[in-house]
This record gives sequence, C-alpha cells and structure tokens, in this order.
Amino acid sequence: MMATIILLVVVVVLGLIAVGAYNRLVALKQGANQAFADIDVQLRQRHDLIPNLVETVKGYATHERGTLEAVVAARNSAVSAAGVPDKVAAENALTGALGKLFALSEAYPDLKANQNFLSLQGELSDIENKLAASRRFFNNAVSEFNAAIAQFPAVLFAAMFGFKEREFFDLGEGRAAMEAAPPQVKF
Amino acid sequence: MMQAVGLRTHIWNNNLRSALLLAGFPVLLIGIVYTLELGMIGAGMLPSTGSMAGDGVYALQLLAGAAPLAIVVSLVWFAVAYFANTAIISLATGAHTVTRAEAPQLYNLLENLCISRGLKTPRLQIIEDGAMNAFASGLNDSQYTVTVTRGLLDALTPDELEAVLAHELTHVMNRDVRTMVIASVFAGIISLVAQIIYRAVMWGGLGGGRRDGDGKRGGGGWIFVLVALAAAAIGYLLAIVIRMALSRSREFVADAGAVELTKNPDAMISALQKISGSTPLPAPEAVQGMFIENVETGAFSLFATHPPIAQRIAALEKFAGGRVAPVVASSPATEAAPEASGPWGPARPKGPWG
Repeated sequence: MMATIILLVVVVVLGLIAVGAYNRLVALKQGANQAFADIDVQLRQRHDLIPNLVETVKGYATHERGTLEAVVAARNSAVSAAGVPDKVAAENALTGALGKLFALSEAYPDLKANQNFLSLQGELSDIENKLAASRRFFNNAVSEFNAAIAQFPAVLFAAMFGFKEREFFDLGEGRAAMEAAPPQVKF
Repeated sequence: MMQAVGLRTHIWNNNLRSALLLAGFPVLLIGIVYTLELGMIGAGMLPSTGSMAGDGVYALQLLAGAAPLAIVVSLVWFAVAYFANTAIISLATGAHTVTRAEAPQLYNLLENLCISRGLKTPRLQIIEDGAMNAFASGLNDSQYTVTVTRGLLDALTPDELEAVLAHELTHVMNRDVRTMVIASVFAGIISLVAQIIYRAVMWGGLGGGRRDGDGKRGGGGWIFVLVALAAAAIGYLLAIVIRMALSRSREFVADAGAVELTKNPDAMISALQKISGSTPLPAPEAVQGMFIENVETGAFSLFATHPPIAQRIAALEKFAGGRVAPVVASSPATEAAPEASGPWGPARPKGPWG
C-alpha cells in the first residue's frame, strides 16, 4: 500500500515537472516568434519611406535610373515576399540596393544639400539601427530557446513535441560582401 | 530554479526568487511569535504544561488562537501604510507633474512604451535637481507615477532616457512598489515583535525574574527565554536581509524588462554607467528603494537595496545580449548629446513624417 502511494506521488511530481518544462518551451518559442514579427515592424517602416526617397533622388540624379529602378524593384519584391526565407532574401537585397543608392548620392552635392533627402537619410539610418537592435533581440530569443530545448530534462521530450532548433537571423551573402568591400565612390 | 540562458529565463528566475523571499516573511513572523510564546512560557508568564514537548504543542495552539487578532492588526497596518505611502512621496521629494505640452519628447518616449504594452500612461513628474535619478511610485492605477530628475534629462541621450523610463515602467507593470510596501510592513511587524522580546527579556518579566517556587515551569525555563532572544535577534536581521534581497531581485527584473520593452540593452548599460557616480538625491528611505540607483555608503552588500552597477551591467551582458561600449565622459549641461549614426549617415531619431 505504502509503495503504491509513493509511486503515485513520484509519478505526479514527474508529471508536474514535465508540464512545467513544456510550458516553458512554449513560452520561449512564442517569444522568438514575437521577436521575429517585431523585425517586420521596422521593415514595413522602411518600405514606406522608399517611394519618397526615390522621388527625391529622381529630381537630381536623372542619369541614375538603373540604380533607382533597382531600389524600386527590390522594395516591391520585399513587400510581396511570402514565407520567411524569401522575405529575408528580399530584405537583404533591398538593403544592398539602398546601399548603392546612398553611395551614388555622394556624387550629387545638390542632392546631399536637399532637406528632404537629408531627413529621409536620417530616418532610414535610424531604422537600420532599430533593425539591427531587433535582429539582435531576435537572436537572443532564439539562443534562449535553443538552449532551453537542449537542457535537461526538456531535452528528453522536446523533439517528441516538435520543438526544433531555430536558426539565427542570417544577413545573407550579399550583405556580408557589401560589408567586406565598402561602396566605391567615383567622381 | 534552472540556470538562466537568456532574457526571459532570467526574469522567471528572479520572479521565482522574489516569490520565495516574500513567502519567507509570514514564515519568519510565525516563527518569531512562536518563540515569543515559548519565552513567555519559560518565564512563567504563560502556564506551562510541565514538559518541553507539551509546552511546544501548547504554544502552537496559542498561535492558532491568536491568528484572528494578528490578521486584524496586520490589515490595519497595511491600510495605514497604503494611505501614507503616496502622501509621503509627493510631499518629500518636491516633484512637479509635467504634461505632454511641457515636455513633449519625454512624454512621447513614455507614452510609446506604454502603447507597445497596452498600458495607461502613468503620471510623469520632474524633480529640479542636478542629481541623476528616477523612480516609480504609486500603488494603484490612479496613483502610478514615473519621476525623473532634471540632471538625468540633461545628461542622457534619448535612447538612454528611454531605457530608464522603461526600467521604471517595468516597476509599475510588476507592481513592485506594492510588493515592497508589503515587505516593509512585514519587516516592521517582525522587528516590532523582536523588540518586544528584547525589551521583555532585558527589563521585563521574561528575564527569569519570576521565580515562583511552585515548580510549574517544567524543564523549559530559561532555555525557552534564550531561544526567544536568539530568535528576536536573528528575526530582526533576517527581516531586513530578506527585504533587501527582494528589492535587488526586483531591480534585476526591471533592468531585464527595460530591455524587453526597448530591445536596446546597450542603451540601458550606458545609462547605468552614466548614472553611477551621480550625487545622491535626498529623499525619505521609503522612496530610495525605488530609485534607479541607490548607493548607500558603507553598507554591506546584503543590506543594499540595489545590486552593484557592475553586477547589473554583467547581467545585461550575459542575459540580454548587451555590449559594454567604452565609457564616454559625461559632461551634462554643456554638450549636446552626440548624434547617433547609422550606415547611411547621421541618424536623427525622428518620426516617419519628419
């Protein structure tokens, strides 16, 4: 009789531990999801600013149609991208296109003095900083989730419940290349 | 409590620690009242059953019987503390409320944080003092207030100011002021009982001065009195230590909560660096616990309301992904805050419409 009671207690305690661990994992997974969604907020703000930027630059740099069209195309494909890998690739492409645009604006002193251009440049720079912060926050959340599913005792049943390791935010080869070789400015 | 591996696990761990510490108070209170009863039995003020074990059980029964009275006394004490709390803070610190029109940037920073969490924006106040500090106060929705000093406004960049506001807002969200008032009341009750025991032993009948020779004291006698005295001393100290440990735990959670709100751990770290070494802000003790930083000179770390700045920064680095930038010498009023720069040039943190 005593043995069955002890066994029952042990089973109940183990069950409670398992429930607790499972709920923890769910909360951390949702945290990572939310952090990823928060990156979207910044990305959308960036999309909204680009048409205005293109219009401003068009007035001064009429010969640079190729670059401008590249920015517009990249923005449109970023807006319409579906699915996470496509989105990440499209946004990285947009960042690259913006980089080329700002690099070439160095050659147009009138453009650089334009108030509208300066204010857009400031806002986009600020958004890039916020994007960097959001990405780091997301990476932090992913790291926490990955560590939690690898820890004991969660590691025993994490796979069974479908908790898989998540990937960190990858800036992509384009960005890595861009950072390795600073944009060329020719006068 | 599992090892924290990131921001949220760090917050959960500290919340668990806070709950356990807070639960320690009633346990401590019951313990110390129990030893007071034993002491009274030992000194003959209460009848003894003749054996130590019997006395122990009798004291437990008395405890159960005294519970209604104890609860009533505690409730009255809590009520007084509740009403006294806000009055003390407004009168003592000389803060004045600011509206959105008077301090638009500051108000917007606070309001944006509240909107992101669906909270009603608390009252915003400024203290005209050069010291760099901030605190949260208020025990219910109509009282919640976030106060900053002029020195803080002059010295911090907008990002750092946002981090400090987020820290105080986290205190408001977690109802930390209420928790600390509860802890103070418990600590007050416990220290009162401890002092009763002490005085009773030193000057009253508990010191074994009642030697009626009818032998009714059993074997308990002076041992019980000694136990009561030891419990008084330990209880008095423990009450303070638990309260301070609780306060430090809430500070860690507030730092982490600020990062959750702003997604910017670096700003929190640099704000802490700038604030450390500021002149102290004069305020009553009840308020000091709620400061963003409170350096008590000459105190053991056990008795500090806040963890040391180095420890807070280390926690932010370890759990929140913060990075410590080299400390820029802060010249508060003379220099304008340096403009942040992004990849496309200077980044002026303005809204989307200019």
